[in-house]
Amino acid sequence: MKKAMLVLLALVMVLSIAACASNNGNKANTDAVTPDGSTNAATTNDKQEDVKDEKEPVTLRVAWWGGQPRHDYTLEVIKMYELKNPHVKIEPEYASWDDYWKKLAPQAAANELPDIMQMDLSYLAQYGGKGQLEDLNSYLGNGINVSSISDGAVSGGMLNGELFGFNLGVNALQVHYDPELLKKIGVDSIDPNWTWDDYKELGKKAADAGLYLETGLRPEVFFGYYLRQKGQHLYAADGTQLGYTDDQLFIDFFNMTTDMVKIGASPTPDVSAQVKGAEDDPMVKGNAVSIFQWSNQYVGVHQVANRPIEMHPLPGPNGKEGLYLKPSMFFSVSKNSKQKEEAAKFIDFFVNDIEANKLIKGDRGVPVSSVVQEGLKPLLSEENQKVFDYIAWAEKNSSVGDPPDPIGTAEIINLFTTYNEQMKYDKISVADAAKQFREEANAILAKNKK
Amino acid sequence: MRMRALQDNLVGYFFIGPFVFGFLLFTFIPIVSSLYLSFTEYDLFAPAQWIGLDNYKYLFFTDSKYWQSVKVTFIYVVGGVPLRLAFALMIAMLLNTTARAIGLYRTVFYLPSIIGGSVAVAIMWRYLFGDEGVVNAAIGLVGFDAIRWFGNPLAALWMLIFLSVWQFGSSMLIFLAGLKNIPVSYYEAASVDGANALQKFFKITLPMLSPVILFNAIMQTIAAFMTFIPAFIISSGQGGPLDGTLLYSLYLFRKGFEFFHMGEASAMAWIMLVIVAILTAILFMSSKFWVHYESKGGN
Amino acid sequence: MTAKQWKWSMYHVFVSIFALLMMYPMVWLLMSSFKPSNLVFVTAESLIPDPWVWDNYVMGWKGIGGQSFIIFIKNSLVLVILSTIGVAVSSAMIAFGFARLRFRGKAFWFTVMMVTLMLPYEVVMIPQYILFSKLGWLNSIKPIVIPNYFGNAFFIFLLVQFIRTLPTELDEAATIDGCGKIRLFYRIIVPLITPALATVAIFSFYWRWEDLLGPVLYLNKPSSYPVSMALKMFLDSQTVSNWGAMFAMSVVSLLPVLLVFFIFQKYIVEGISTSGLKG
Repeated sequence: MKKAMLVLLALVMVLSIAACASNNGNKANTDAVTPDGSTNAATTNDKQEDVKDEKEPVTLRVAWWGGQPRHDYTLEVIKMYELKNPHVKIEPEYASWDDYWKKLAPQAAANELPDIMQMDLSYLAQYGGKGQLEDLNSYLGNGINVSSISDGAVSGGMLNGELFGFNLGVNALQVHYDPELLKKIGVDSIDPNWTWDDYKELGKKAADAGLYLETGLRPEVFFGYYLRQKGQHLYAADGTQLGYTDDQLFIDFFNMTTDMVKIGASPTPDVSAQVKGAEDDPMVKGNAVSIFQWSNQYVGVHQVANRPIEMHPLPGPNGKEGLYLKPSMFFSVSKNSKQKEEAAKFIDFFVNDIEANKLIKGDRGVPVSSVVQEGLKPLLSEENQKVFDYIAWAEKNSSVGDPPDPIGTAEIINLFTTYNEQMKYDKISVADAAKQFREEANAILAKNKK
Repeated sequence: MRMRALQDNLVGYFFIGPFVFGFLLFTFIPIVSSLYLSFTEYDLFAPAQWIGLDNYKYLFFTDSKYWQSVKVTFIYVVGGVPLRLAFALMIAMLLNTTARAIGLYRTVFYLPSIIGGSVAVAIMWRYLFGDEGVVNAAIGLVGFDAIRWFGNPLAALWMLIFLSVWQFGSSMLIFLAGLKNIPVSYYEAASVDGANALQKFFKITLPMLSPVILFNAIMQTIAAFMTFIPAFIISSGQGGPLDGTLLYSLYLFRKGFEFFHMGEASAMAWIMLVIVAILTAILFMSSKFWVHYESKGGN
Repeated sequence: MTAKQWKWSMYHVFVSIFALLMMYPMVWLLMSSFKPSNLVFVTAESLIPDPWVWDNYVMGWKGIGGQSFIIFIKNSLVLVILSTIGVAVSSAMIAFGFARLRFRGKAFWFTVMMVTLMLPYEVVMIPQYILFSKLGWLNSIKPIVIPNYFGNAFFIFLLVQFIRTLPTELDEAATIDGCGKIRLFYRIIVPLITPALATVAIFSFYWRWEDLLGPVLYLNKPSSYPVSMALKMFLDSQTVSNWGAMFAMSVVSLLPVLLVFFIFQKYIVEGISTSGLKG
């Protein structure tokens, strides 16, 4: 036993020495890697900074979720910021999506939230409405420069007049399709003014050709779009009940999507459950003509599919009323932060600095600053350019988005998932689902009444 | 006499002192707070509000998914635990020899348990039981129809039970250590008396191993009640299809951390504690009839 | 071939075939780590990679955010070894107390210990987190490591059950020889429960190694993340995931656990049956 322990201890020692060595190596490397321009700028800055260096040293905790590429470039951006602001030291805290939210909830309970945290639309009301987040209104034009950012983009993080998150980029819904597969089902191109009836028609053609038309429509997203087309909303403006009153809308929409499953134009839930990653997606594998999803996912889908993939707006009519620009994610500042001004300055840098955004490259949605959008143009890949163009088009062909999802959204989404599955497996009639969904959803939302 | 008792108590608390101290320091306060929270509405952010028995009433009388999760969990426990234990005992006996390369065999059989609940396992299981996976291919070879593991609630649950059986390593190891603790002389004496393998198993192995079997039975039951990671194999932890894999702990976790109903989640935990405690007590009481202790000093 | 030899070869054939069956998923995992990342799922049904690539290992080893994977391994090892030493020593002591000593309140504390086993961690998690934040232990390995030094209910119960299988005649003999309880513990009991202690070491090592929730809650700096968290960072549901690197590093991260298992399982073999208790 003793011997084994000794062996293990020795192993740790060796490894930790090796780790230190490689750590140093890394540091040297990354310093050299920073783009020439910014290193030069940094060195000149350093000399000037000697004068202003009397600023109090500040430490900011910045937290975000994401995958490996996002972690890598965000660390570069942070390094760039620290070079320009030597009095600021940033402690990055990053994790995968589900670990991130597991970390954040207890931190909120213990008043230990990071100074700056990446925030999602579906959690904004939960954290903001419960007094965890700072209202950023007073920092607009005073720390965060919004001269080149549209009001619409800023107000995406607004909840009852309080700005709980600063929009980092926008997304819009669209259809990503494979033109070759579209031809295979006997259709040359999708009509720019297509409607939900055309969608059903295409579904039949796809099913006849043995293909799926789409890979499933997420109910909380696309039913919301459908409602907007009819001049209705999923949630009432105050978030205390559902926003639509006629269950016929629910019945029409879900009759349509469940019919798609029944005729074989959309996968059954068990097929979707087997998908392991983007590489495995039915469209990427050539079994489905299209995916209905957010614009920022185009680049990734294109990359894994590695063949021409086109984009197209969602079915109409009233596409303009239905479509909206969605803040892809926010940076929020915690209420308990002692460095709110410095936090706001970092957000300003992240949103407005062109050099920083050359690293970000629209990964967090198409940048909200028009100056940054212009500045990035020459550097964009063909696919990125398409996404930027689509957002530019959508800006003119969309209407104001709904306010952030109310508290209880996670449960509503869960209800949608449950009933959607039951309808697709024919365990419940669409009419009954409409009724039960309304009852349960309203019970959840009623808790928001003050 | 009194001195003797005092000394016994001192020595006793010297040994279990770390537990008592650690319990009071790290566990007691959190346990009491969770009991308190089960009578409140608590969303992690705002202070908890006392609401009496409402959480319990809601779970019992309003929340249909709650009973679904109880049902699913019972199937998982009753179906999985005996299967896993039997399998683990069988392999442990198979590997309880001095054969050559036995270390290698043991490592190989333990390997699946090492990989545990990681992401890689979820991906792997999704592939193995998928429409084009190996399991359905094998079922096809035998001449049966392929099973839609992801579309049928009960099949999906069995897919998770198979995973737990496949990862039998921890129980196996405990059995193995227990088998090693049985003095060889007992078997030698039995051989002299002309006992066959089956007789040895029932007359020596099972009784001698019974404390360890009790331990494994209790532990695996508790662990099975608390599992929820495997449910992430299907529908990324939503408990599908049709709530067929909505294990109790998964639902508890979702309630607490996704829906921010910490009060209800705490109530669920305390109900589970009572259920598991009753089951454990039954196992302990039944142990008088089938568990054989060498020493009579225990309680 | 004698009957005995025949029996042994049958044994090996049977065990090997069975082992292979059990191993299939592991082999699939290993082979997937040699496939190009974008082909892992496309060619899932063929076991042999075509083409074979090492890139996954090279890429995975580079780690995340400019931090080599070896740092994650080092972090895991520190966490795991400190915890394992603490939990083995303290649990053995406590188990001896419960299994062999008589004192007031024993039944009560034993019940308390069993109850701590039955409460799901998710529920004590938040109050415990707040407690550790009051102690100023957040963002350090203290909340993960230190509680191990006060015993772990699972291991205590495991060791209690083992000590109970030991004949009490030993204790009596030792006591007659004038052996105090403390010496009885480390002279007689500890050597006899070596197989169980080896089991504790293996379990503790492996559980800490794969533990995700503790590090997720208490470690904020990526430079202190263990392997279990690092593996998840290769994946992201929103952008393209690096499956190949994840598989490759999953394989790598199995090696230390395997090594520990291989070393410690020997002590299970050399248990009581061979250690002269026969007479």
